[in-house]
Amino acid sequence: MDFRGSYAEGSAAGDYGYQGAPESLRLRQRLSAVPDQSSPQFNWNPDHTSENEEGSSDRQNLKELPLPMELKKAIRQVQQMKVPVVSGWQSWRRSKSKTLKRFREEAGGILAYVALWRRNLQKIGGHFGGGVQSYFLFLRFLVVLNFFSFLLIASFVLVPSIIFHSRSSGNNSNINISAGQEVCTYYEPNPQGLVDFYTYFIDLLTGTGFMEYSYLFYGYYNNTEGITNDFSYNIPLAYLLTAAFYSIFCLICIVIRMGSVIRVTVKTGGRTVGGYSMLVFTGWDYGLQGDRATKLKQNNIRYKLQVDLEEERIKLKAASLTLGQTVGLYSLRAFLNLIVLGLIIGAFICIFLATQFSQTNRETDFLSLVVQYLPSIVITLANFVVPFLCDQIALLEKHAPSTTIILALLRAVFLRLASLGVLLITLWSQITCSTEDGGTCLPCGYNHTLYQCWETRVGQEMYKLAMFDFLTVIAVMILVEFPRRMVVDSCSWKLVKFVGRQEFVVPQNVLGLVYGQTVVWIGALFCPLLPVINTVKFIIIFYCKKMTLFYNCQPANRTFRSTSSNFFFLLVLLFGWILAAFTLIYSVAAIHPSMSCGPFRSLTMMWSVVPNSFHSLSSSTQDFLHYIGSQAFSIPLFVLSCVVLSYMAALASVYGQSVSLLKAQLKLEGRDKQFLVKQIEELSLASRKRQDC
Amino acid sequence: MGNKQTIFTDEQLDAYQDCTFFTRKEILRLHGRYHELAPHLVPMDYTEEPDVKLPLALIVNMPELKENPFRNRIVESFSEDGLGNLSFNDFVDMFSVLSEMAPRELKAIYAFKIYDFNVDNYICKEDLEKTLNKLTREELTAEEVNLVCEKSIEEADLDGDNKLSFADFENMIARAPDFLSTFHIRI
Repeated sequence: MDFRGSYAEGSAAGDYGYQGAPESLRLRQRLSAVPDQSSPQFNWNPDHTSENEEGSSDRQNLKELPLPMELKKAIRQVQQMKVPVVSGWQSWRRSKSKTLKRFREEAGGILAYVALWRRNLQKIGGHFGGGVQSYFLFLRFLVVLNFFSFLLIASFVLVPSIIFHSRSSGNNSNINISAGQEVCTYYEPNPQGLVDFYTYFIDLLTGTGFMEYSYLFYGYYNNTEGITNDFSYNIPLAYLLTAAFYSIFCLICIVIRMGSVIRVTVKTGGRTVGGYSMLVFTGWDYGLQGDRATKLKQNNIRYKLQVDLEEERIKLKAASLTLGQTVGLYSLRAFLNLIVLGLIIGAFICIFLATQFSQTNRETDFLSLVVQYLPSIVITLANFVVPFLCDQIALLEKHAPSTTIILALLRAVFLRLASLGVLLITLWSQITCSTEDGGTCLPCGYNHTLYQCWETRVGQEMYKLAMFDFLTVIAVMILVEFPRRMVVDSCSWKLVKFVGRQEFVVPQNVLGLVYGQTVVWIGALFCPLLPVINTVKFIIIFYCKKMTLFYNCQPANRTFRSTSSNFFFLLVLLFGWILAAFTLIYSVAAIHPSMSCGPFRSLTMMWSVVPNSFHSLSSSTQDFLHYIGSQAFSIPLFVLSCVVLSYMAALASVYGQSVSLLKAQLKLEGRDKQFLVKQIEELSLASRKRQDC
Repeated sequence: MGNKQTIFTDEQLDAYQDCTFFTRKEILRLHGRYHELAPHLVPMDYTEEPDVKLPLALIVNMPELKENPFRNRIVESFSEDGLGNLSFNDFVDMFSVLSEMAPRELKAIYAFKIYDFNVDNYICKEDLEKTLNKLTREELTAEEVNLVCEKSIEEADLDGDNKLSFADFENMIARAPDFLSTFHIRI
């Protein structure tokens, strides 16, 4: 029997989404007596559904028919012959929609061609699968985000600054200094006297010296209000608002991307119930090419199945523990968690001490390079050592394998972001003299002895963190991964073969990216060129990681599922954004800006530039903004959003309930079907017996 | 770009564009791929709709299919005679369903046919065992294979007949978020 022809068979109880009655088309097959309930049925007469719709839906239905090509062409001919009687307006509309559709297809083709790194990503996905490809997709997203942020900053802050610097037509508004504050305006970033030539190299790495008083850092920008004949441009306001819009723009991009990822999860019910069947039927990646990739994928699937079976065994064992054993296990886990917490706090203390030491000692000889980079070194070391120790501890905790992986990841994320937080808290406490008795902060509002221009110093710290991160990636690649692969390939000792090639562990690499991006977000206010530096850095990292992937690595055996991991990466990125947002809000609203440098030198608070320039707007705009900020607008808005939110929540729960209801109904119908089939058999048997008699 | 080619008439290209998820350029490229599988069998001029079918052995040598453990079943599912001889129409059909724009329902129909080794419109335990062995290169023990098959049927079988009908399969696929991205061959 031609199994394709089974589609042609209609059935009285065709109840699987399509209905069938293949009257008007050819290719009917004779089939067995019992109608085949399990074969998919479909709608052979598409004009039932498309009577009043546009022609495009006809075409869509045609593409989605599970028929061989000749049949589809026949249906298409039939459709075209049925020219509906339409008015001139409708026929014009139809032809326009057809051209629009063709145009959209061509545009989609061109966009796909232009998309960054499309071929590279295809190759990576083909050889290493979706999990590794998701890391590179995430990296591409960050590169594009950083590039557009740079365009934003360049067009609103950098270019006007350059214009006003070169024309020097702006008024440098003099600040009002009270009696004891002359010392606050002293700022001499350029080194005095002769310098050794290697200091240029050190300056490049630490952002001091010739790099400090440049467009790279906050201190170079003036608080000019460039005024020409009919156009005025307020640079401080532009600087602040650009930083705010940049943050909001990044947030919107992340949320939109999260939304598209989560839509897939919600549509499919979210739960990962049915692990075995899903793994067997959807586990194979049909896009894989190459013998090595296929073998690795097969090993991967086998490993996953074995892990799933192992988890079942562990769960059974855990359920069969006595009360005493359970209590013992939980107290052991609590104790081990305390040890992990202690390790993390120890790392924080090290970072705190290193930052304090590095900020208070600033010379310019070669050893000082190490001292300057000390916070970065300590953070990187902590983020390498502590997760490694936690992994060893986790072996004692006896969790199921999936729980172990998730726990390790959560701990690593917390450590990364919190270590950045500790660094920032240390810096801020030094700037605002909360570690001393406040004597040095009295004249200027900030610690002017240590920091002539504290924003530039913070920018330099972030710049150093970003540089060190980049150098670490390159150094690890050159000094660890290439030699490891050479040793593994050429040496045939059992131990070496057991250790094997480097695994490309996706979550740790993604955490590195998130860390780098968070540093950029924090530093963008103080170092406006940091996004473009980061763009270049991530582009170089893309090519380096790709090279190391193909030459040195094997895919990890323990992989994440690519869709759930996409959401997880974006969630961690969102946490990083929240940390950066807190930092920005605190610096803008709570700390006194430096009096000797920067666009906000005449203000007591960075934010006050906004209310000050508010009064220069037209009165109708002022009234409008007053209204938006007042209670008469915000309370109804809040109430409305609460209503919309509860509506969405109710809708979601209704969908969940209807899904489970339908599932139960399916089960019942299946049982009914079996019962009826049995009855039919019995009846036909009985009638045959009666006929024989 | 499409005006100078003489492989297909414009009417044929329109028909292909309406019946598959490919653009004109992609269809011409597919014809190139089909042609290079057997240059002496496949004519360059398809305006007269020649009846040329390539055997299974030639199709599964394509680099996209060469190492796929299900390559034979894929090609058999899309052939009209069930033995794997593909005409150009079947060839285009196959890659259209496996492209990234095909919807979930369409892919589920063909995935069901691929995994149904004995072609009885049900995925029974033997079909599952064969699928599993192809997936893991037969490196699981017999007991593990048995366990996994039993658990899979237990999870997905809704009507209780110890085998998976298309409805069970489609229901299970609907809950798998990865399916669209894994059941996808780029050409």
